[in-house]
Amino acid sequence: MTELSLRLAVSFVQILAECSIVMLTVAIMTLAERKVLGWMQDRMGPMEVGPYGILQPLADGVKLFFKEDIVPAGANKAMFALAPMLTMVVSLIGFAVIPFGPNVTLDINGLMIKPFVIADINIGILYILAIASIGAYGIILGGWSSNSKYSLLGGLRSAAQVISYELNVGLAIVGVLLLSGSLSLVEITEAQAGGFWHWFIWGARPDGFFPIHTQVFAFVVFLISGVAETNRIPFDLPEAESELVAGFFTEYSGMKFAFFVSAEYASMVLVSCVAASLFLGGWNAPYPGTIFEYIGLEELAWIEHIMWFAGKVYFFLFVFIWLRATLPRLRYDQLMRFGWKVLLPIALANIIITAITVYFFPR
Amino acid sequence: MTFKAWIKTVTFYELIVGMKATMSHLLHYKPITLQYPHEKRTLPDNYRGMLSLLRYDDGTEKCVGCDLCEAACPSRVIRVVSAEVPGEPTKRYSKEYYMDMTRCLFCGLCVDACPVDALGMTREYEWAVYDKRQLHLNKEQLLAIGDRSFPVREKQLELQHPNVAFFNVAFKHLPQKPD
Repeated sequence: MTELSLRLAVSFVQILAECSIVMLTVAIMTLAERKVLGWMQDRMGPMEVGPYGILQPLADGVKLFFKEDIVPAGANKAMFALAPMLTMVVSLIGFAVIPFGPNVTLDINGLMIKPFVIADINIGILYILAIASIGAYGIILGGWSSNSKYSLLGGLRSAAQVISYELNVGLAIVGVLLLSGSLSLVEITEAQAGGFWHWFIWGARPDGFFPIHTQVFAFVVFLISGVAETNRIPFDLPEAESELVAGFFTEYSGMKFAFFVSAEYASMVLVSCVAASLFLGGWNAPYPGTIFEYIGLEELAWIEHIMWFAGKVYFFLFVFIWLRATLPRLRYDQLMRFGWKVLLPIALANIIITAITVYFFPR
Repeated sequence: MTFKAWIKTVTFYELIVGMKATMSHLLHYKPITLQYPHEKRTLPDNYRGMLSLLRYDDGTEKCVGCDLCEAACPSRVIRVVSAEVPGEPTKRYSKEYYMDMTRCLFCGLCVDACPVDALGMTREYEWAVYDKRQLHLNKEQLLAIGDRSFPVREKQLELQHPNVAFFNVAFKHLPQKPD
């Protein structure tokens, strides 16, 4: 009984810490996106709230909290309230299997606890794929229950887009699974230890340097499909503001709107975490070992690992913003053609080639 | 598709060029926008801002109620009610003068049309109001804008005959305004 309650308490603390870190990142991202977008477009971005506008997320949160919560006439009230919650919850629970730091195990009164991953389940990546598809339900429900044609069109577009690009995400990671021989994100990350040439984007064998198993094509497919899955520019057709007002959240206001927006940013963070874990070695440094180990502070090595993980994630988040500042939106038929006729064949060819190389040159 | 175009497509060449452009703007960050309420752009010399009615240096209104501004206005902003000056049947003035600034497009045609230079364009532009009826200005308000924007007033010219109205357009035999 005490063991169960202790385990529950530890899990609760871990979940709280993870959620607060993710929400903090979301808050930083809302500001960083506006600032970086402004800088890239020769503007300043928000400058009024606090020095250089750094308190803007706080002001936005307070404002959205006190906004009137409008439910449109003829809306399905239960579904209308459920949709943003579903989207938000789904985009947060995906982080449960992400290893933020090294795979160490703490022993608290005979209880084995991994401090840097909440749930080290052996089907981690499948879990993330499943969760990411449930996120589309929130969008479709929100679009359908609003009783508005713009919302419905946005929801339908989102359904088609998520189905098309979900497939490419699933196929792009098969190469990584062939190389690591595991579905657990912890083991996938550990298989890439020991320098950047062991990362799956480079794909050298553990004893060599030549990129025989390179997954760079899968990486590109995964990144593009990840952008499409999070409904970001240039694939933001579900919320195309120039065509559909705001797409699936046209009718939402106040905290429900805030839920949708922060869910979008949280799923960006999730996709970045998964991309970093699968292709860029997760928490592994691009050189063998860590600097803290070399100077004799082995118990502090986890700090360096976490810094590398955060650095990779923030690099991907910057790429998201960078793409938004650069690219225009795709047309709908371009989106479908690109997903099915370009990315899908590349992902399939990558699986075949990786399977052949893994068969002849096993790791 | 030529081979070169194919290579450009598969390597995302155009996309990389675009991303390089945005990145160079980020690295050489030099904003062209201003923090408007805190810093303001310098206006050009011929800036056409809020309209106003002017006075001579003795405080009399310049306007002679000729209605030419109303005729010149393309958006029918101006409405003039002209009347005789009491006791002087040859002199007229504008008894009422209204401007509906919600319609004004600041073309300056009324200022060009005015024969006695009674209208002036100030350099004011911060005229956002909560009630658009506040932009329906009467003569007193327009004179007040002129008073605060043009503190240096013109002298009223000596006329050949006190009952002859003065126009600055084509009467070479009448006294001209000093430069």
